[in-house]
Amino acid sequence: MPTVIRAIVLVVAGAALGLAGNAARPHGLRVAAFAPPTECSGAEASAPSPTVMSPTEASSLCGQPNVVIADTRPANAFAEGHVAGAVHLPCDAGGSSAVEALSHFSHAHTIVVYGGSTEEARPVAEALQHRHPDVKVAVLDGGFAAWSSAGLACASGPCDECKNTKAANP
Amino acid sequence: MNAAASNAVKWLTLAARLVVGGLFVVAGALKLGDPTAFATEIANYRFLPAVAPWLAVTLPPVEIVVGAALLGAPWKWRRAAALASMGLLVMFLVAIVHVVRAGINVDCGCFGGNTGPVTAWTAVRDLVLLASAALVFRGTKEYAK
Repeated sequence: MPTVIRAIVLVVAGAALGLAGNAARPHGLRVAAFAPPTECSGAEASAPSPTVMSPTEASSLCGQPNVVIADTRPANAFAEGHVAGAVHLPCDAGGSSAVEALSHFSHAHTIVVYGGSTEEARPVAEALQHRHPDVKVAVLDGGFAAWSSAGLACASGPCDECKNTKAANP
Repeated sequence: MNAAASNAVKWLTLAARLVVGGLFVVAGALKLGDPTAFATEIANYRFLPAVAPWLAVTLPPVEIVVGAALLGAPWKWRRAAALASMGLLVMFLVAIVHVVRAGINVDCGCFGGNTGPVTAWTAVRDLVLLASAALVFRGTKEYAK
């Protein structure tokens, strides 16, 4: 048997083992249904549009169990100050970090996304809306600056729940 | 080639085979545990994202099979595994060069999650492994007849 054929046999055997192993796993990857996590480049045009929410309206949702507030700014900005209780979902999160951050949204019925400005957070909100069409996704009007100016509850320090999230900017 | 040089090449080929084979087995094993996270790592490369879940499921066992064959299979299969590893390393190199040229900030995912960003050094490491695999492929020619 030629060497090239043997090499192909090795690769095909490994791939077949992988597919069989994944099918046998109770929580294997659903290949056909897989969707990559949020990207900052925006979502498909067919996705429903997130709403824009004022800081006052958003603050009234704080503390509700199924409401998640997500901060899309870099880690250093998050550490300097963020909405109290917000999870950190930066645009530059690596794969496993993004999956970890996205796990916060599995039981949410409302997600409020904010960045340095309204427009900065909008692509992330659109991608989240596309990924979770049954969830109400809103962009915080004016971003963190508007929240802070309104004197609403803020916190500082790194994100305790997402220690693996990267700090660097792209 | 004199006897001393020939002996040195044999030892170098053995070392290259053990390093490449061992790294493939370890890299594959570390990625087996969380295919969803690995699929996300691949998708973040923004290089053929549609095949990311398929690669996430198949690539780790392929790496383990190829690495194990390099380490302990009969000579004809070791040579074939060296060729397969060269193919895989060329594929990795294409993806790495794409990411570095596009300036995409992405976790390598080479040995599971959080193994550092893809940089030019990642490409250099891949090239060193590619050269090692080529040395194994060349060095096993005599035994694989």
